[in-house]
Amino acid sequence: MGILDRIREVVEGLTVHGQSTAILKVKAQIDNLFMIITVGDMLGVPILPPYYSLRLLPYVFPNIQNWKRYMLRERDFTDLVT
Amino acid sequence: MLNTPAPYILLGLVLYFLTYRFYARWIDKKIWETDPNRPTPSRLYFDGVEYFPVSKYVLFGYQFKSVAALGPIVGPLTGVLFFGWIPALLWVIFGNMFIGWAQDYSAMMMSVRNEGRSMGPITYKLLGDRARKILLVYLIFYLIIITAVFEWVIIDVLNRVPGTFTAVLFVLFGGIIFGQLIFKMRMDALLATLIALLIVLVGYFTVALIPATQWPTTNFLDGPGFFAQYGFDPKLTYPGTLTVAFWLLVLSILYYIAATTPMPKFLLPTVYVGYLPSIIALVLVLLAALVTPITGLTIQQQAVKNLYVDPMVNPQGGPIWPILFVTIACGAISGWHSLVSSGLTSKQLEYETDALPVGGGAMFTEGAVALSSIAAVMVLSQPPAGAAAYVQGASLLTTKMLQVPAIYMNILYGIFVTVMGLITSMLFVRIFRLIMAELFEDSPLGNKYISPIILLIVAGFLAFVGSWTNLWIFFGGTNQLLAGLALLLIAIFLASVKKPSWYTLIPGGFMAITTLAALAWETYVYLLYALQNKPIGVQASAAKLYGGAVVQISNFLSAAFGALLLVLGAVMAYYLFAGFAKYRQKQ
Repeated sequence: MGILDRIREVVEGLTVHGQSTAILKVKAQIDNLFMIITVGDMLGVPILPPYYSLRLLPYVFPNIQNWKRYMLRERDFTDLVT
Repeated sequence: MLNTPAPYILLGLVLYFLTYRFYARWIDKKIWETDPNRPTPSRLYFDGVEYFPVSKYVLFGYQFKSVAALGPIVGPLTGVLFFGWIPALLWVIFGNMFIGWAQDYSAMMMSVRNEGRSMGPITYKLLGDRARKILLVYLIFYLIIITAVFEWVIIDVLNRVPGTFTAVLFVLFGGIIFGQLIFKMRMDALLATLIALLIVLVGYFTVALIPATQWPTTNFLDGPGFFAQYGFDPKLTYPGTLTVAFWLLVLSILYYIAATTPMPKFLLPTVYVGYLPSIIALVLVLLAALVTPITGLTIQQQAVKNLYVDPMVNPQGGPIWPILFVTIACGAISGWHSLVSSGLTSKQLEYETDALPVGGGAMFTEGAVALSSIAAVMVLSQPPAGAAAYVQGASLLTTKMLQVPAIYMNILYGIFVTVMGLITSMLFVRIFRLIMAELFEDSPLGNKYISPIILLIVAGFLAFVGSWTNLWIFFGGTNQLLAGLALLLIAIFLASVKKPSWYTLIPGGFMAITTLAALAWETYVYLLYALQNKPIGVQASAAKLYGGAVVQISNFLSAAFGALLLVLGAVMAYYLFAGFAKYRQKQ
């Protein structure tokens, strides 16, 4: 990696990285809502019409593992600092 | 040559480099035994939101941005004004070499070895629920004090560097426009950045070239007659004046908006746009400090000043131990960094071996910022108190280097200090709001629109009638105690995995004892003045305007905060030492 690429990445970290991570969190909250109302039963949330869940399953399938990990992870007040 | 700041700043940079190259790498290899092949949390727990691998250069930039704000600027210059430039310089150099980087790096590694968990869950795991609750209460009071301190720092600069407010308004406007262009109009990021920068530049040159825009003038709401009546210096900022009330209201509105609006609408774009000119300002002042033998600026400050000050003669400052070690926090060591290191950064490290360049490297770079702040105040013969000294000194250094009219640099550093302070304190108010929402889920106290008001009223009251320097020491005390506790927690973790822990245990013990002593001293000063119904230093203005009772309430409140933090800190230190002894016995 050249020196210019390194400088570019440092500037990216200084300016954009925190912003993009915060936006990812906002997006994840909306995605999580969709996942909960469709396949929430996987986490024990009672979802009544399983027919639609089954129809949507092929589309949500690639995200299930990451979604479960994100939802079930332990959270703490010190996580709010960043 | 030796009468310029350059050789001392260079010495600091060389010592940092040698520490990084030898001591830090030795700790990294021998104690933590980092291995690039061992999977990090970013790979093991990949979720694409918080946990994902990021290049070490990006993370270095992010870590530096998250830890370096006004702390490494205001702390060192206040240390120089209290005790002289040699003690301040020595603490910034040696504090960082043996304590500062060790905390930032080790907190990151401890989190990496604990599935990317932050400080709270690790405290719970090693010491139990009570210790975690103490940490939580401690953090809430820390946020109140730091908000009050930063409010005063920003108000002082806005008041004493006319034109800063107009230029900052352009920065905020640029941020809002940038947010709208990116999120509403889906514009290309580079083009949106250029438009936002153009707005910032228009603001900057408008203020520099058109004197009429250098408004509001110093103490504009109070006027010279008011100052003559009370015998105040019309160039300074005094607690309790109408001008201070005005600026406090302006800041409170900004903080409230930042805390309650969605992040992408206001806070994030403002941080982005505000940080761009700040990078230029930081680099310029460090370069200017290194070329002082060419520009001919010499050291004007006393090398060593009073090592002990009687609190009844001068309540600002105090004995060099422990006060110097809490006056200069960021740049030497800061507890806030442990929360940042164990927060997002540890979740995104690609390889374990990246922890040293990211955590340690960012801390040493922050040390360089602190050194440049010392250089800025060293060249001033009669520096004003507070961040205005930095604006004056940095302007002088860079004006001589670039050979441009002083107003350009004055405005640049006025913007820099104000924007850095604003960005950080807006984030603090938001974090306070989120913590309150977690704590008081079903109560009005946790309400999104009510909890920021609580913080703004308490912190605003302290800033309005408070003595700035004493508040700063208070903030340093809480911040440094957090650092001491983090270092002891790391020592416990190392003991629990049967690794040598001396390199964090000794600094952790030193910091815990020093900061508890500093908090006890400052609580004593506040209590002494509150019981005798006397104002502390510049509080005299507030006492004259509103009567001694208001100042007395403020000082009692500060003393109560101090006593509470002292007790909490002492209990937490006891838990940590007892925990360490327990884990050592198991070895």
